[in-house]
Amino acid sequence: MVHLSGEEKTAIATLWGKVNADEVGGEALGRLLVVYPWTQRFFDSFGDLSSATAVMGNPKVKAHGKKVIDAFSNGLKHLDDLKGTFSSLSELHCDKLHVDPENFRLLGNEIVIVLAHHLGKDFTPKVQAAFQKVVAGVANALAHKYH
Amino acid sequence: MLSAQERAHVTQVWDLIAGHEAHVGAELLLRLFTVYPSTKIYFRHLGTCPDEVQLQSHGQRMLAAVGVAVQRMDNLRAALSPLADLHAQVLRVDPANFPLLIQCFQVVLASHLQDEFTVEMQAAWDKFLTGVAVVLTEKYR
Repeated sequence: MVHLSGEEKTAIATLWGKVNADEVGGEALGRLLVVYPWTQRFFDSFGDLSSATAVMGNPKVKAHGKKVIDAFSNGLKHLDDLKGTFSSLSELHCDKLHVDPENFRLLGNEIVIVLAHHLGKDFTPKVQAAFQKVVAGVANALAHKYH
Repeated sequence: MLSAQERAHVTQVWDLIAGHEAHVGAELLLRLFTVYPSTKIYFRHLGTCPDEVQLQSHGQRMLAAVGVAVQRMDNLRAALSPLADLHAQVLRVDPANFPLLIQCFQVVLASHLQDEFTVEMQAAWDKFLTGVAVVLTEKYR
């Protein structure tokens, strides 16, 4: 469960409404694959990931980014029960996808950086703190069913 | 371990913030303390609620050290040796905190520079700062 003040919840809802969520997803995933290239190990079928330009323009990266951010957006509506909300996704990432949970933390940080990039000075330290709490909560929820 | 291209990107990033060390450093510390309150334990000398003057003063010092590292990417160990001694013997900042500082640094750059701060620059800067952190904690044991 993520503990956010009323002010933090309002800030999150307001600023999330200002960004194009689909774009955020594609950019965050793209940045993850460029900044931490070993994360490409999960995406052998994605085609050309040979350069930053290739990654950021790759349609499969964008499509997958959108899928990921849709799940994240859903999480924003259920901040009181992230573990429940992400329960089956957690099982999937453990049992079928075999993704190291450290990747959820890295991707969460990239989502924050992309938000900073889009929102500029609106992304104040307090807003960053609120979003970092959320991405940490989502990462923990996704790791929760690992065994 | 930074390629020539990566070094060029690191220098590009530095050129965009050089001259603004106090301001960037202050915001970096403010974000660090706001987002990761446990990091404040290493800055007791700034008081429980550091003001802008204190943040700028300490921020300036930290960014100046980053500037030294940028100039001496060819030999970080030599350039940062005194700082590495300080961290090992006096400050003893737990190594787990350096990624938190690096995250806040990326957020400062992304929010201020926006499109000027490209993916390639972010990747190179991350790799560079991670290298700095390794050098600063290398003498811990």
